[in-house]
Amino acid sequence: MIKLTDLTLRYGDKLVLDRFSLEIPDRGLTALSGPSGCGKTTLLRVMAGLAKPESGTVSGIDPARTALLFQEDRLLPWRTAAQNITDVLPRSRRGEGPRWLAFAELDGEGEAYPTALSGGMARRLALARCAALGGDLLLLDEPFAGVDRSRTARLLDRLRGLGVPAVLATHQPQVLAACDTIISLDGPPLYRV
Amino acid sequence: MKKLLKTAIPLGFWLAVWQAASWAVGRELLLPGPVRVGERLLALAGTADFWLDLGATLGRVFLGLLWGALAGTVLAFLTHFSPWADRLVSPAIRVVRATPVVSFILLVYLWVARAAIPWVIAGLMVLPVVWGALSAGLGSMDGKLLELARAYRFSRLKTLRLVYLPALRPHLSAGLLTAFGLAWKSGVAAEVICPPARAIGSRIQQAKLGLETADLFAWTLAIVALSLALEGLLRWGLERGDRR
Repeated sequence: MIKLTDLTLRYGDKLVLDRFSLEIPDRGLTALSGPSGCGKTTLLRVMAGLAKPESGTVSGIDPARTALLFQEDRLLPWRTAAQNITDVLPRSRRGEGPRWLAFAELDGEGEAYPTALSGGMARRLALARCAALGGDLLLLDEPFAGVDRSRTARLLDRLRGLGVPAVLATHQPQVLAACDTIISLDGPPLYRV
Repeated sequence: MKKLLKTAIPLGFWLAVWQAASWAVGRELLLPGPVRVGERLLALAGTADFWLDLGATLGRVFLGLLWGALAGTVLAFLTHFSPWADRLVSPAIRVVRATPVVSFILLVYLWVARAAIPWVIAGLMVLPVVWGALSAGLGSMDGKLLELARAYRFSRLKTLRLVYLPALRPHLSAGLLTAFGLAWKSGVAAEVICPPARAIGSRIQQAKLGLETADLFAWTLAIVALSLALEGLLRWGLERGDRR
């Protein structure tokens, strides 16, 4: 179980987490749902070790063993689709590029630069890159934004097939329905003592 | 054909203006015409000394460009990442940028061997330009990509190679193109003021002393042609690199 205990975090004057506590299963797919700006992204960033709370503790995960899919694609525009994936892999796994392109249904797009990809394709590439990086936990912020329904369903199946627990911040009913656990959040600030 | 005419017509126009001005002045000592200068340039280009002088100047300019660009790059990273280095070094670089090149030539004359002055001066002119271009580039780096590099556990070297260098490339290209022109001009100016044994600047100085105005024009023409050709080559190389 991943335990977030008594977390307090502010962005400037804005209180985003107010002694917030939460337990998240460390298996299967868990959805964090809630209105825009309620703090879902902040929670993912805290779990990834990118946002430091003023107080509180996070246990049950090693931030260095997580892979975060950012809300934006953040693809390197000067690297091809294939390179964007292999760049995050250790040397011994560089040959896995085609496998992860196939994961994102981007076979044949390996030589394309991100600027030549549609919004949905870029999102799938970013998701594949995150999944390729892997680790003990995937933290996925709006992973299927701009992706059509049938592809979303197939990608969810593949994601589950990886066998790595994942926490997804999402609004999409289709994604919520496919998750094992749904945690509804209401904020900001998020507070649950 | 159309492209050729677009170049040939303005060139012909200015050569005609030059010739007309030369006829109007009526004294070759003050303003030789393009035909006379062309003859002198051809005559000079037929000698081995011309090419040796040209090569020596070119070598110094490139040496200056190289050390200035390298030092500018290292200092840009240093002043970007270290607030103390920024406080110490940035004002000094701004002073170098604001100092007239002639002052530097005369000062450096006191400190280094004559043959080294042109490339030292060329490098001093290049350094602030490259530093300024790269500092601006580092200041406008995409923080989200840098955060991605951190989150995806890129090593420092990998972050430099995959994030910093590609993002800085357009800034470095623009800086190098500007710096190249400056290196060329300041290097030749240093050669004129402190003439080494073999240099275009030394030949210009000799032509001036001997009142050989046609030679002065011919050497200047050679510098301009070489500078334009090399700048075009550099631009082509940088654009080719940017496209890859």
